[in-house]
Amino acid sequence: MRGPLVRVLLVFVVVGVALTAVVVSDTTPQLGLDLQGGLSVVLAPKGDQKNVGDKLDKALDIVRSRVDALGVAEPEISRQGDTIVVDLPGVKEQRRAREIIGRTAELQFRPVLNVIPAAGSPLDVPTTTPAPVETAPTTAPGEAPETTPDAPTTQGAASSDVLGRAQEPPTEEPTTALETPEAPPADTTTTTLADPVGAGAEFPADQPIVAEDKDGEFLYQLGPAEATGGAIKTADADFDPQSGAWAVNLEFTSDGFDQWNAIAAKYVQQQVAIVLDGVVQSAPTIQEERFTENAAVITGNFTQGEAKDLALVLKFGALPVELEQINELRVSPTVGRDQLNAGMVAGAAGMALVLVYVMLYYRFLGIVVWITLLVTALVVYVLVAWLGQTIGLTTTLAGVVGLIVSIGIAADSNIVYLERLKEELRAGRTLRSAADRSFKAAFRTIVAADTVTLLGAGLLWLLAIGSVRGFAFFLGLATALDLVIAYFLMHPLVVVISRSRLRDSRLVRMPGSSPVKADV
Amino acid sequence: MPIKEVLADLFNERSKFDFMGRKRVFFAVSALAVLVGVVSLGTRQLNLGIDFEGGTVWQATMAEKEPSVADVREVMTDLGISNPKVTVGVTGDDEVVRVQAEVAEDAAKERVTDALADYAGISPDAVDFKDVGPTFGREVTDKALRALIVFLIAVSLYLALRFEWKIAVASLASLLHDLAITVGVYSLTGFEVTPATVIAVLTILGYSLYDNVVVFDKVKENVGALASTGRYTYSEIMNRSLNQVLMRSLNTAITTLIPVLALLVVGVGILGAVGIRDFALALFVGLLFGTYSSVFTAAPILVVLKEREARYRAIRHRIEAREGVGVASRTTVDRAARPTDRPVDAAGDAADEETPAEETSLERAEREVRARPSTSSLAPRGRQQRRRKRR
Repeated sequence: MRGPLVRVLLVFVVVGVALTAVVVSDTTPQLGLDLQGGLSVVLAPKGDQKNVGDKLDKALDIVRSRVDALGVAEPEISRQGDTIVVDLPGVKEQRRAREIIGRTAELQFRPVLNVIPAAGSPLDVPTTTPAPVETAPTTAPGEAPETTPDAPTTQGAASSDVLGRAQEPPTEEPTTALETPEAPPADTTTTTLADPVGAGAEFPADQPIVAEDKDGEFLYQLGPAEATGGAIKTADADFDPQSGAWAVNLEFTSDGFDQWNAIAAKYVQQQVAIVLDGVVQSAPTIQEERFTENAAVITGNFTQGEAKDLALVLKFGALPVELEQINELRVSPTVGRDQLNAGMVAGAAGMALVLVYVMLYYRFLGIVVWITLLVTALVVYVLVAWLGQTIGLTTTLAGVVGLIVSIGIAADSNIVYLERLKEELRAGRTLRSAADRSFKAAFRTIVAADTVTLLGAGLLWLLAIGSVRGFAFFLGLATALDLVIAYFLMHPLVVVISRSRLRDSRLVRMPGSSPVKADV
Repeated sequence: MPIKEVLADLFNERSKFDFMGRKRVFFAVSALAVLVGVVSLGTRQLNLGIDFEGGTVWQATMAEKEPSVADVREVMTDLGISNPKVTVGVTGDDEVVRVQAEVAEDAAKERVTDALADYAGISPDAVDFKDVGPTFGREVTDKALRALIVFLIAVSLYLALRFEWKIAVASLASLLHDLAITVGVYSLTGFEVTPATVIAVLTILGYSLYDNVVVFDKVKENVGALASTGRYTYSEIMNRSLNQVLMRSLNTAITTLIPVLALLVVGVGILGAVGIRDFALALFVGLLFGTYSSVFTAAPILVVLKEREARYRAIRHRIEAREGVGVASRTTVDRAARPTDRPVDAAGDAADEETPAEETSLERAEREVRARPSTSSLAPRGRQQRRRKRR
């Protein structure tokens, strides 16, 4: 077994190294928006919608992509219960950010004027060669992917016409099919397009825009919107046994039907992009001039997931589930700074007063409390900074309050131990033998008491929402740390003192620790 | 006994307070406090903040001039906002104005933001804004309540497993006692209930429980060491345990309350408008009662439960027969018996079946109060008890 002194030194070294690493790498705790200013929005499904679980996850992704486009440093977007919480600490233009998050994005259908690979796209292809899109060609009958690179103009990916309903003989009643091309047509000239509008930006329906596709691989130059998501009545992903591929079936509204017939007439054999939030979801080619019945099918080499996603986008437009904003908080940087200062001042003052008190009460052995509390404080700082960097843990005011409350818990572990020590000393034991014996009993109490706190903090973290959750996390963190520090630092520290030359000096005597004669 | 000596005893941990001999007084104090809390809650209700009721709050830091409630009201009236709650205050060095109102439309909310920014002479993005839908508050409350109930169940199970179910019952009772008092404080003072309040209440309960565990852990240890000797009643063991942990409880209370006090002072000085002050005050009162309840509520309840057990009744009868004194007066353990290092074993206690008491707890309590022994006496057992020979 390692000597207690080695253990104490080891703790100092580990904490010292961790602290140095954090300071040198300039890692600071990630401040919550209530401490640095920012915006928080909570969205929830509107009304009493049931079974929204999966849809909410999808909606979360969409909200996340909108937020990412805002360029906020450390956005925190999470699902808590049936709500989506968007925290944007440090965001300056709070009103604009809120509008973008809360906006019901419009689905638009725009003719594709031009497509080029995006700059910095992972696909490093010459502009003369159209690159394959994510719906890579397979060996569907009649499809000849090899031919596409030579095709300079817009075309329907040389497929056997996918003519709508599989049951229907294509010649009798041709349903118009929309087909996603195997490769977007390339422009032979190296056209430089303007920056894509990107998600979250304004994209006026009556003006042409430039937009990226979902993977950021291609830039689409698009004409003004010809129709909106309102034209689509419903959409479903469907497996077509004939072609052996997933497809998306559409049904138009009555207005939408007319609109789409106009589009089909105008852009037959051209691509029409499905644009959501300034991002091209898919750009099928119109196969027929006219939709003879109110149904259409989009084919391509979709996986099941892709087909379902596209159907969801077409059906619900922006979000797969209708969300409403149920909570919004905007904190200005001034107020944030004030709150942070208050928390720091209260924490420092509370800590200092506790340290003075234990010194008065336990005299020299109060040094044990000093060391453990200060080391705990340093470790908390390191952990909070490190977790802020790695898992994006944000320190909120509620969290700071949790930490301040935990000063009492950390001090209490020392108190339980030192009081126990006194008891043993009073019984006539030497400091040396008492140090180990009393730790055993004290640690049992500390574990029992900390377990209760951890249990509470854990349950709160799991079940509660909002600020209560942050509070629970920090309280739990500090409590777990208390156990570790008590075992690896507090105990060896006392043992070291009890074996040092100090043990016989008057210094280590605590009030009330002198042995008592058994009173009869 | 002179105060000085009491303090010296306390400091040297020689105190021998007869806590259990006065449990009726403590029960009365607790019952009264709970009653005040419950009655206040029933008549005054709680002042629920917008987080629970829904609504919108704006807060602007004045660029230069001092805010005036009347002026702000006029601005709001011009915007067609009915019944705005306008307050002005100081945060740090800054004058702030705060408006609370119920506005339905988003556009109207933004008009208020603009107007307030204009009034304060700041940019609209610098206006603090909080908008809570009525469902959100309900959700926060529901979730917190559910967490609370699960927490209480889990903790009871833990205590029942780690100790015994009677300790779980006593702890639960003292938790509800703390809860009633804390909620009572909110209702009496009219403090606004915010999510921070939920945190305060949970902290108080967690702390109170933590304190209970420390006390009961000591009891368990002493029961293991002393009960099997058959020389001490449960009340005596409890008294002994409480005296042993008394300084710990006081010290912990002090070191826990100091940071909260710091929060309280800082909250008043810096965060006038944000409600930290209310939070810290509730926390302060709650923690105080949390410490009180582990010694003065949870422990006596446990004693009442345990003294009904056949095992402890038998001990009591035996001692009574041997010494010919009212056992009730024997509630302090004398110092001659030091804890031994026997392994702690309370399993036997839990298995004991409850037997009907021969006398009601009220009768016993009455007798005990009449037979009150002198507190913190170092005299041997027999001497002081001979004074009260009632049977």
